Amino acid sequence: MKKLKYILYTFAFLLLTVSVYAQQQRFPKPEFDSGYTQPSTITPEPRALQLEYFDVLILAIFLAVASYLIIKKRSRRGILWLSVLALLYFGFYRNGCICSIGAIQNVTLSFFDATYAVSITALLFFVLPLIVTLFYGRTFCAGVCPLGAIQDLVIIKPLSLPKWLNKTLGLIPYVYLSLAVLFAATGTDFIICRYDPFIGIFRMDAKALMIILGVAMLLMGMFIGRPYCRFLCPYGVLLSWMSRFSKRHLTITPSECIQCKLCSKSCPFDAIDYPTNEKEVVKSGLGPKRFITYALIIPLWIAAGVFVGVKSHTFLSKANPDVYLAELLISQPEVKNDPDNIDVQTFLASGKSMETLVEEAEVIQDKFYTGSMIAGGFLGLVIGMTLLNTVVFRKRQDYEPHKGNCYSCGRCMDYCPVEK
Amino acid sequence: MELKDKIKLSQNVAVFSGIFCVTVALLLLLNFWQMSKSDPTESKVIEALVERLKQEPNNEELKAEIRNFDLLARKAYFNSQWQVKTGAYLLLFGAIVLALALRYYYSLKSKIEVPDTQHENEIASRILAQKGIIIVGALVLVLGLGASFATVNHLNYYDAENSVAQAVPTPEEEGIEVIEVGENVEEADTKSEQEQALQEPTPEQSQPVETSAEKEVDSGVNENEEKVVKKTEPKPSTAATSNNFFAEIRKNYNSFRGPLAQGISYSKNIPTEWDGTAGTNVVWKSPIPKHGFNSPVIWGDKIFIAGADASSREIYCYSRADGKLLWTAKADNIQGSPSSMPRVTPDTGLSASTLTTDGKRVYAIFATGDVVAFDMNGNRVWAKNLGVPENHYGHSSSLITWTNKLFVQFDTNRGGKVIALEAATGNTAWETVRQSKISWASPVLAEVDGKYQLVLTADPIVAGYDVETGKELWSVDCMMGEVGPSVAYSDGIVVAANEYARMVAIDIKTGETLWEDDMYLPEASSPVAYNGLLFIATSYGVIVCYDLKTGEEYWEDDTGSAIYSSPTIADGKMYLMDNDGVMRIYECSKEMKKISENELGETAGTTPAYMDGYIYIRGENNLYCIGK
Repeated sequence: MKKLKYILYTFAFLLLTVSVYAQQQRFPKPEFDSGYTQPSTITPEPRALQLEYFDVLILAIFLAVASYLIIKKRSRRGILWLSVLALLYFGFYRNGCICSIGAIQNVTLSFFDATYAVSITALLFFVLPLIVTLFYGRTFCAGVCPLGAIQDLVIIKPLSLPKWLNKTLGLIPYVYLSLAVLFAATGTDFIICRYDPFIGIFRMDAKALMIILGVAMLLMGMFIGRPYCRFLCPYGVLLSWMSRFSKRHLTITPSECIQCKLCSKSCPFDAIDYPTNEKEVVKSGLGPKRFITYALIIPLWIAAGVFVGVKSHTFLSKANPDVYLAELLISQPEVKNDPDNIDVQTFLASGKSMETLVEEAEVIQDKFYTGSMIAGGFLGLVIGMTLLNTVVFRKRQDYEPHKGNCYSCGRCMDYCPVEK
Repeated sequence: MELKDKIKLSQNVAVFSGIFCVTVALLLLLNFWQMSKSDPTESKVIEALVERLKQEPNNEELKAEIRNFDLLARKAYFNSQWQVKTGAYLLLFGAIVLALALRYYYSLKSKIEVPDTQHENEIASRILAQKGIIIVGALVLVLGLGASFATVNHLNYYDAENSVAQAVPTPEEEGIEVIEVGENVEEADTKSEQEQALQEPTPEQSQPVETSAEKEVDSGVNENEEKVVKKTEPKPSTAATSNNFFAEIRKNYNSFRGPLAQGISYSKNIPTEWDGTAGTNVVWKSPIPKHGFNSPVIWGDKIFIAGADASSREIYCYSRADGKLLWTAKADNIQGSPSSMPRVTPDTGLSASTLTTDGKRVYAIFATGDVVAFDMNGNRVWAKNLGVPENHYGHSSSLITWTNKLFVQFDTNRGGKVIALEAATGNTAWETVRQSKISWASPVLAEVDGKYQLVLTADPIVAGYDVETGKELWSVDCMMGEVGPSVAYSDGIVVAANEYARMVAIDIKTGETLWEDDMYLPEASSPVAYNGLLFIATSYGVIVCYDLKTGEEYWEDDTGSAIYSSPTIADGKMYLMDNDGVMRIYECSKEMKKISENELGETAGTTPAYMDGYIYIRGENNLYCIGK
């Protein structure tokens, strides 16, 4: 029976994938003269400013309520229902846009493109969760983020991943963040939005691949808690940094820990740190020597990152539409005669010369040179620091949530028998 | 309800919702399969009927039948689409119920697990993590490196020459010898700037090419050209070259608004009475093949204008003597030129910029950013593309030449710059980036203490540039909006004006603003300054005369007609054409004295040229010569 349910559930989601994909077909215009004039294409009006401010207000309220429920009320049930509301509003009603994760790109672009002014809404969506996290931990992830909510709701039988795997996979969000910032800074693409796996589900419409990715994430999420949040989310990197400094972070126990260990398996995200076994640490040899070695090789990691960044800038720049088009026209000049290639036909109709296009592409490549160098250096630093972190032991006597990785979902609180 | 019942209930809900999900999903799959099998756009029936219709295009019954089939196919398609959409929502609903039921079921059945007696070994885990990080970190870097080696930078293989070669020459240009641009570039590279400034025409340029057009040139023109060649032989100093060049151009009418582009003609005996419709004082009238808003320029016995449409860009040379079209040259096969025309508005067009000539060559620029030089016989000397100017109306700034340099005011939406090209080769002599926005005004030459400078106006600066080096000599931040009128210059005073902005008189030596006014402002027409007076024409037809030094208004005349053409001083009188083709002539005095009003009988927004007792007017479709 148990197995049957799993199979049913999995099957249903897979079928959902196909059905939404079916909506992608479009009916072409009639091919003969019927006397019917095609209406001109209507560009949808942008969302009214007041409504945008309303979204910010909702965000602020949700953040306040989430923080209150976690820190003051210590209510897992409350946070669960709040996350359902957030999923309905920011996910299904607002179609996953605007969101704090994607706002990284708006903010980045505004720094590098003088002609792009970031909207106050995008800026606040970027900043508000960071500020709240700085004080109260990642309550945004717990009850406000629709991406987190949809994954949290499908957790059925979470498996605990070994620490080494968590640490290793934890590097991916840094790579994603570096690429997202690089592509946004060069005006290439907003990859966080383009490859948001849940947008297709929120909108009930997306490319087949994205629907499959989203459903696969949810299926995986039934057994591995919040896979996107843990191993992909670029905004999570920033939230994790902020949360480490939070003074009033969620605590497992409202009072003193009695070392009952009941909470040790409660976290589906493996975000509970166990008490340190000092004897083992001393015995292990992971002491100051290795610390110094890892600290000294950080510059090497950075140098390697910079080198690879510089080398791979040409490859990365191909994601830019202008570079792509220029290269396409150079390598395959015959595409100019392809009436179905919309990019090429739009370029030809624009009256822009090939020389100008190539010049523009070269300017973008130059930007990629600098950007990839910085991104590579940053990744090198992250690898070096993560490695260094594995030989740093913090003295812990109790079971505590890892401030950086804890999503403040409050599950562990329910397991704690201690009362105030 | 007891715990057992709750578990049972949630279990049943989960099973039913699971079955519901599977059923809906299967139906959706079936629907999807059906849709993919019977694509309405590839209906064989409709295809056959459409084929029949091609043979019987007037068969109304058949048309109706096709429409019915098409409508049915569309209905079926949209019906399926509705089913898919509804099904997807039902499936989503089912999935939510299933998820909730399962969650509830597991929460009811969950028990607090017995804590592990043995934890995961922290140290072993950390050591493993170190390995994992090193492997993943190295993998990321190796993948990046691998990608870099597997990547080809196609931009390095961009062959500009080749991209031009793809444009196949049209048979029409067989009669015109195209001089290789590449050869000229190489030739220019071997010469110093000084040599280029003083060089004589190359054998290719000076050698007449036998074309049918060439035979029609009378001997007088050849003599004139020879004179030019003699006069441009090596000169000891730039000042002397400037003086000689000025002496040459004041005998001609070589650019927009005449020599130095100041709106002053140095010719005498210019007619004041004519009637285009009746033919009174019309010496000749010649049709213009392609449209353009550029004005005529003259050197010796030749008049030059340009025209363009989506298919080609052309330069026309007419005989001053009889209005005969001597030659037509095409601006095509230019390296970097866009394959299709940029979008321009009808009131600017593709050929709004007036040509210029120095007696050796005639130069033209088009809205495509193509700059091209032809010798006086229509043979191409060089051509280049400056990049398509990002201009929402179309590039309209005219060219001007001065002592072996050709100047281009290239203010576009991407920012402003002024470019000096070597007149002989088209190579860039200098290029100065300007702190300005897009503009439509043209450069004006002004002499200050024996040295010449280019005076340009745009939003927000009016500025002067050294003709030799391109250095910005002065700049006044005073202009705004979409600046169309060029500046007026006389007696050391620059006057810049633009509609919805202001009119400012600037002392060219000190950069001091002498006066400002915003009562009447021109939109397209450029002001002219002469003998202490300043004339402007608004686009709604008011002509106003001011004191150049004080800005005091002397008189105004409301003509009631639109005016885009610029006032010009010729033979001591002020001539101004309106858009309806009516030329008004006023005395240059502090009191308004209209001498005459003459109708051309054709609309004209261009600025006429004045030379040796004749006026040359470009109308909408014809070029006119007016003389006594």
